[in-house]
Amino acid sequence: MKKRGIGIGCTFYGTGYGNGFPDISTAFVEIHDDGSVLILTGAVDCGQGSTTVLTQIAAEELGIPTDMVTITCADTGCTPDSGTTAATRQTYTTGNAIRLACQKAKKTLLEWAAKELGTNTIEGLVIAEGKIMVKGHPQKSITFKEACAKARFAGNRLIGEASFTTHATQVNMEDGQGAPYWPYAFGTQIAEVEVDTETGKVEVLRIVAAQDVGKAINPQSVEGQIEGGVAQGLGWSLLEEVKLSSGNITNPAFSSYLIPTVLDMPEIETYIIESHEPTGPYGAKGVGEPAMLSAAPAILNAIHDAIGVRINDLPATPEKILEALQEKK
Amino acid sequence: MTIGKSLPRYEGLGKVTGQAKFPADYYMPGMLYGKTLRTPLASAKILRLDTSKAESLRGVAKVVTAQDIPGENGHGVIFPDAPILVEDRVRSINDAIALVAAESEEIAEEALSLIKVEYEELPAVYDPREAMKEDSPLVWDKGNILYHLPIRKGDVEKGFREADVIVENKYSTQMVDHAFLQPEAALSYIDETGNLVLRVATQYVHWDRTEIARALNININQVRVVCATVGGAFGGREDMTLQLHCSLLTWLTKRPVKMVYSREESFKAHSKRHPIYMKYKTGCTKEGKLIALEAEFIGDAGAYSSWSPNILRKSAVHATGPYYVPNVKVDAYAVHTNNPFTGAMRGFGAAQPPIAYEAQMDLLAKELGLHPFTIRWRNAFEEGSETATGQILETSVGLKETLLATAKAYGWDVEKLY
Repeated sequence: MKKRGIGIGCTFYGTGYGNGFPDISTAFVEIHDDGSVLILTGAVDCGQGSTTVLTQIAAEELGIPTDMVTITCADTGCTPDSGTTAATRQTYTTGNAIRLACQKAKKTLLEWAAKELGTNTIEGLVIAEGKIMVKGHPQKSITFKEACAKARFAGNRLIGEASFTTHATQVNMEDGQGAPYWPYAFGTQIAEVEVDTETGKVEVLRIVAAQDVGKAINPQSVEGQIEGGVAQGLGWSLLEEVKLSSGNITNPAFSSYLIPTVLDMPEIETYIIESHEPTGPYGAKGVGEPAMLSAAPAILNAIHDAIGVRINDLPATPEKILEALQEKK
Repeated sequence: MTIGKSLPRYEGLGKVTGQAKFPADYYMPGMLYGKTLRTPLASAKILRLDTSKAESLRGVAKVVTAQDIPGENGHGVIFPDAPILVEDRVRSINDAIALVAAESEEIAEEALSLIKVEYEELPAVYDPREAMKEDSPLVWDKGNILYHLPIRKGDVEKGFREADVIVENKYSTQMVDHAFLQPEAALSYIDETGNLVLRVATQYVHWDRTEIARALNININQVRVVCATVGGAFGGREDMTLQLHCSLLTWLTKRPVKMVYSREESFKAHSKRHPIYMKYKTGCTKEGKLIALEAEFIGDAGAYSSWSPNILRKSAVHATGPYYVPNVKVDAYAVHTNNPFTGAMRGFGAAQPPIAYEAQMDLLAKELGLHPFTIRWRNAFEEGSETATGQILETSVGLKETLLATAKAYGWDVEKLY
């Protein structure tokens, strides 16, 4: 018989290295004569999309389109140390470093432009539509490109370098008290499953996933992270296991170590919650790891809802489910 | 304005047109192929290692063993306790014994088969709960318990006395692999200034550079690590795998060397997710308010430390789930065994506790006749909440919004469930 059930999983995740470890990213930025920009940062993009997000942050801060931004990442011959691509930290930590570096380069440019436009503060200027304009009097302006060329010809160098440290405090080794991570991310997923009581096979039919990311710099990338997280959580809860015999791996192949394929994937609905983290770039905090946490508990709770047995020892294979159903009888 | 826009991937064109270069896509004239001899045993002593036949095979440029390492024979993200090449004591099947650089992959493979290793098998332990016992075989002489973090908040005994419902259970999670699609590969060479260059898919080029300089006993400025396109990582590329081996072969032969792992070798070389044995006792009032939580985590670190202390710390810090609990007692242990070493993997010790704490929440709700939404809603962190470590969550606590969004999507009548 096929039985359906629904289960929920709520989770949280402290981002960053945590516990007072030096969690630092550094970035360099150089604005060229034509207003285009080079960013240098050590941050590796493992495929999750940090490079795209980092160019968006640079473009936003400088008020220019992303196609004016080139980024060179992760070459120790030319990029500064930006820490590991891990701990859900690149958007937040390197994003902040790039933002600060861009602010420094921009300040040099705007100081030149303020003189050129007869404004007594750089706060009296705004960059938009390819121009540097006087606030409240946009008729008075210079194109961004012209300003960059002239500022440089006047002897300025439009460069910025900045490091950003993610705040964290060590826990006390006697009682664990402390503030080990910041910021924390939160998520909920609800899964609907169908369990075949004759074969023990679980099919995940639907997952609704909501993730608090502070601010989605690139919503499609966030959705991709959430969907990938669901896939990884599904594989972890139902399929994957490194099998050991006397410490040796007996299934080191994808024929015997099963990961989910597209046919195992349910319909996924994602909801992006933007709680705005004031210390993050444009309110953003990370999404990478938190997005994989909620699927597995939701699926296990849904299995319980469907057939009344709990699988407390992962993965919930058909064999374990049939055994649990037998015991229940 | 570009924030909040789903702009296309910066590197997308290169990936969809096949122009992006993964490390295995790099070739150089005159390059050698590197291969690794690994141990078939998880706990052993090397009695004799004879590489003479491999060295005399035509086409073999170099055979490298522990004695040939110019610098420190150890690596690790916290403690450098993982050998680059084993000198005498094998502690897990991650261990590499020797390296070969040869004119072709086939010759390198053949050379590996000509290396003779005599082992004496040693007692081993494969379960961290067994490894904690006094009479367990020792993976390390200093003892098998690598890390212990207690969390103590409030008075957990008093909390359980005041609880109307208590549920108590054991949970366990399995060892899993990152299963990134692109197995490890690298190309190293000496550039025109005499410095070493390594192209590799990694998660942290600057850390790799530090490890390489330490292994080769050269200055950090003599090493350049360039990240190739990375085909997934998920934490599995944080510890060194072939970075040091490939660099060693190049440094000792002064020739370009390429190494590419098979899927099988990839499984054996990189870290795994910690299996964690969890005991949970959770109490709440009849209104469904959590009042006490006691948890124990025993994580299998495998033979080498990697990030294990940080990972079990993270388990402990996240033990309550995203809920306010006034009385908490947690003990988290990372314990060495002779299993493959475990390290960073997406979720990093915060992935295992939800398997337990979210089951406990459903069980408590069932005892009280509450909807699963209700018990979570009544305990959910919000701005100003205090965690088990006494940390006040000051800003951006969007948990309740995620609960509402998902519940409404399933058509739950949340107004009646608060």
